[in-house]
Order: sequence, then C-alpha cells, then structure tokens
Amino acid sequence: MSRLFHDDAVDEIKRETIHWQRDVYQSDKELEQVFETLSGLPVEPLYTPSDTAHMDYLGDLGFPGQAPYTRGVHSTMYRGRRWTLRQLAGFGPAEETNKRYKFLLKEGATGINGVFDYPTLRGYDTTDPYARADAGRGGVAIDTIDDMRVLFDGIPIDRVSSSLVTCHPICNISVQSMYFANALMRGIPLEKLTGTSQNDFLMETAVTVAPELLPPKCSFKLSCDAIEYCTKYVPRWNPISFAGYNYRESGCNAFQELAFVMANAIACSDELVKRGIEVDRFAPRLSFFLSAHNDFFEEIAKYRAARRIWFRIMKERFGAKNPRSLTFRFHVQTAGVALTAQQPLNNVSRAAYHALSAVLGGAQSVHIDGYDEALCTPTELSSLTALRTNQILQLETRVTNTTDPLGGSYFIEALTNRVEEETSALLDEIDQMGGIVSAVETGWIHKEISNSAYEYQLAIESGKMPVVGVNCYQMEDEELPIELFQVPETLAIQEKKLKKIRAERNRSKVQEALDAVARCCDQDGNLMDVLVDYVTTHVTEGEVSQALKRAYGTWNPPLF
Amino acid sequence: MKRNIRVVMARLGMDAHWRGSIVVARAMRDAGMEVIYVGNQLPQNIVETALQEDADLIGLSSLSGNHMILATDVVRILREEEMDGTTVILGGTIPPDDVPKLKSAGIAEVFGPGTPLKKIIDFIESSI
Repeated sequence: MSRLFHDDAVDEIKRETIHWQRDVYQSDKELEQVFETLSGLPVEPLYTPSDTAHMDYLGDLGFPGQAPYTRGVHSTMYRGRRWTLRQLAGFGPAEETNKRYKFLLKEGATGINGVFDYPTLRGYDTTDPYARADAGRGGVAIDTIDDMRVLFDGIPIDRVSSSLVTCHPICNISVQSMYFANALMRGIPLEKLTGTSQNDFLMETAVTVAPELLPPKCSFKLSCDAIEYCTKYVPRWNPISFAGYNYRESGCNAFQELAFVMANAIACSDELVKRGIEVDRFAPRLSFFLSAHNDFFEEIAKYRAARRIWFRIMKERFGAKNPRSLTFRFHVQTAGVALTAQQPLNNVSRAAYHALSAVLGGAQSVHIDGYDEALCTPTELSSLTALRTNQILQLETRVTNTTDPLGGSYFIEALTNRVEEETSALLDEIDQMGGIVSAVETGWIHKEISNSAYEYQLAIESGKMPVVGVNCYQMEDEELPIELFQVPETLAIQEKKLKKIRAERNRSKVQEALDAVARCCDQDGNLMDVLVDYVTTHVTEGEVSQALKRAYGTWNPPLF
Repeated sequence: MKRNIRVVMARLGMDAHWRGSIVVARAMRDAGMEVIYVGNQLPQNIVETALQEDADLIGLSSLSGNHMILATDVVRILREEEMDGTTVILGGTIPPDDVPKLKSAGIAEVFGPGTPLKKIIDFIESSI
C-alpha cells in the first residue's frame, strides 16, 4: 500500500479546514454559492489532502509509462518525445490540398492530418445531386484512386505519418483502401505505412449524420472490417480513432465524450475477439481523439481519467497484457464550438488555453484551430498562426520539462476521480442497454447529445456561461478584421476528371469490383480485403457506397 | 383560435452539423411552435414538405458553405410554386459579406453563430 496521507493527518486537516472556512466565509450564503465545472461537477472553494486521502499512489497514479498510466503513457513523456504537430487541412480538389500539405510540412508540421469534403465523408461522388453544392467544402474531394494519387504526390508517405479523417466507415472503407492501394502502386509495402484513420460508426449514425445512412450494425461492421484488415496487413496503422472530439462538438459533455468513446472501443474489441483475433494484436492500435474545451482543469482531469479507465477496461474486461493495449493514446483538437465568429482574433488566445490543457493532460498529438473557423475554412495565415501557437507552446513555455506537472494537485486528483466516476456510471448504463450499437439504434445516444447541446445553449442564453464577445463585451458594428477563405473551384474540376475516368476505365473490371462487393456483403466477408484490390479499377467511392446500400439498406436516425 | 406557427426545419444538402438545427428546433417547440424536422434535404424536397405541411416558415441550417447555392434555390423554388406566404430563415456559419446577398434573394433573416435563441423566436413571432 502506498496511501497518500495518514488517517490521523487527514482528520486533523478536515477539522482545520472547517475552522478556516468559518474564518474566511463571513456568511453561509457566501459559502453556499455554487461553482461548477463546464460539465456540471460542483467545485469546492479549496482542495486539501483530505480530498485525495483514500488514494493509493501506486494503484491509482503510478509512474508514467506504467500501470495504471494516469500520469502518462510514456515513461519520459515530452522530455523524450514531443507531441506531434498535426494541423488539419483539406479543401477543394486534391491538387490544392496537396499544396497545403506541402506548405505545412515545410513550416514544421510533423504529420499530415487530412480531412475530406462533405460528400466524400458520406460516401458520395462529387457529381451526385446531393453532393454538388458541397464539393470541396470542409475538406478535399476524393472520388477515385486517381484523386488519392494526386493528394499525396511528392509526399514521402513511407516516412511521414498520415491521419486520414475518414469519419464515416462508409467513407473509410473506400478511401482508406485507395490510400493503401496507392501506396502499393508507389512500391511502398503496407507494413511501412504509419498513420491513423477515423473510421467511427458513431460519427456516421449519431454525430454527423448524412442522408441515407447505413443501419448502425452495418456501419459498425465496416469499421471492424478495417480494424481487422489493418491488424493483419498494416501493423503500424491505427485503423480507428474514436472521435470523442466530434461527439463533444455535437453537444456531449466531458463524461459523455469519454463514456461514448470507451463504449465504442469496447464494442469493437468484443467484435474483433469474436472474429478470433487476440486482444493484444489489435488493441495496441486502437486510438482516440478528444476535444480540448473551455474548462481548463476539467479537461486535464478528463485526459488523466481516460488513461486510468482504459487501463482498467483492457486489463479487467479483456485480459490484455501488452502494455500498448493498456495505454490510452490520443490526439486532441481544440474545441471548435468554443470559437466565436464575433471578434475572431480572440480565438487565438482561446485555442492556446485549450491546447495547454491538452499538453498538461499528456496528449500524443495536438491540432490547434484556426481563429477564423467559426466563419470559414482556415486561410493559410490562420493555419500558420495555429501551427506557430503549437510551436510556442512546445518550445517557449517549458511545460515539457517534467511529466504530468499537475499530478498530486489535490484539486486535479479529486477532479480526475470524479470524472472517472461519472464516466463509469454512464458506461454501466450503456452496458445495461446492450452496448453502444443498441444505444444508437434506440436513439438513446441522440437524445443524450441533443439534451446536453440544448442545456449548453440555454446556459449561454441565461448568461450563466459567459462567452466574451457573444453575451458579454460585445462590440457594436464590428468590422471583420480578417480575410475569409474562398473554396477553390471543385465541382467543375471533379466533373471533368470523373467524366474522363469513366470514359477510359475498363467497364467490365468496374462491374467485377461491384459484384465482388455485393458478394462480400452476402457472404459477410471483410470488405477491405476486397476493396484494396478493386479500387485500382477506378471504381468510384459513390459506386461502392451504392453497392453497400443495396446490400444493407438504409436507416433514418431518430434525431428529433 | 389562432393556430400554432408551423415550421419545417432542414439542413441543406450534405451539411453534417445537426447541433444548431436541433437546438433551434427545440427552442421553437418550447415556444409553442409545431416543428417538422426533416434532416438533410435538397431544396425541391424542402419546398414540397413545406407545401404538404402547410408551413408558415422554413428554417434552414448550413455550416458547410453551401448556402449561397442551396438557400437561394429554396426561395427561388418557393417563388415558382407561388408560395410567397412562406417565410424562409437561415442559420449557420454564414460569412457577413453573404448576408445582404441572401436577403436580397429573399431570405427573410440570417442568424450567424452566437445568435441568442430568443432573437430567433422573437423574429419568427413578429414576422408570422
């Protein structure tokens, strides 16, 4: 046992705390005033050893790089290796995004973080009637393997790691296959590739829904197909990044964010085990994506709690032994919902605080939002400013000097424990519902998110939650001090490319590809196995999606 | 008896963000309006639904940047269908320069990020 404090000392501190409170707070009213975290946990006026008295140092905190990993997943943390500077980028046709990738790499970004446009993320071709008005918006447009070739042209993907924000499994199954097939065509073996894909079925069915969704079970299956494929053939690739960030953006509080990623990861792990793959083969490559929101300390507590919860899940529930299976590794993006369209330059300071919380919480990689993101896709200047903010944090502030610098803070430890309790309670609730897939099918998840989003907005409306420039310190007749990004012409370019490809490709080969997809669905095979081979026929993403929808049907989410 | 205000709420095209549209829809419902939430739709379908539902107002949401194409299409099709009595409002990430263009195209009001729900409700109640 390595208890933090002796019982006698704790009792005395408790007594003295009461005396101190009586001296400081003149009236009960003053003492009873409620302070809360952003997610609604009560916060005491002061934390002392009595708040962490029951904790056991080795059991609950331990050393960095050792169980239960509360203090960090690596033994030397940022002294040994700094976090990856992974700035999100993507817009317009592949040619334009390729230029932005090269610009960011030249300026010191250490990984690619590629986002795809709305139609691509939802499995549609640019030329689909639904898609046309959104071509190139929010990300880069990918229709065929040829776009993928252009997107990574001249980028050493055998050395640079790529994060592909292929949110929806229906997108990931094609786009990820195109990335792999393109690597093979460049002579790079799959074992050499490093990177991450998002591939999260909750994104497709609950968080960023599209028209004509796949049923939750089928979307979930596709996501597990990609995990299985990568476990077998692309061992250094993280085949899923549970997108807590996006859950939070759509309305979740901190506990829902954690509980939903964990419940999702549990479901995937159950499925992979069911497919006969040992937990220690796939779990080391499960990765997580979290938000850095406004409540500085709650966020730090969230990251620390996440590591401890994951360790316990993997060890107790799945019997994992490989230390990499037991460690919760995560990328952080600063909260887009916290940005304001009003006085947009204020967002530079907001995002810097957000990023600081991620780093004090031990993140493996960090994206800082551009100051203009409440108004448009980031310009080159706002992307560069965000990258520089990340570099200033890394090189000037010296927060990297020691590991888990807030560990042992009475407040942080108490808050970490509370976040863990709240998250575990939600996880139990989801378990009782039969797991995350059922929780989506019944609309429970949608209701949870929508309730939290509404409460958040009401807190802003009532003034309970101050937002500078929005409900306080507004400026009349504000002139916008920034240039807005214009999405480059995409639709006409993609239309032309697709027309040419459709004319030149071998039609019977494409039909063969679509038949193979249909057959694979019928036989419940692994679709990535099929697609990595067949995307080389220049079958389009939209054609594959249509084949999947023919086989699986579609589903309307119970949103309202 | 005066009937409740009937609203069709839709997200334009492929736009993925549902948070804003749901939060606004709930505020409308709490204000006593009848809300028909149709999710992602193209302009033609939005107008058809509004016609079938005898809607007083169409609420559009877009955070993807497709508003200049699709929101203006909604008002154009409404005019073609001679449904001039239906008011159209738009919310989302709309660059300030686009607002006058949208209004002159026939969108009654545009609500950007940070707009209080009350302002939206007040606008609807005063204009219907």
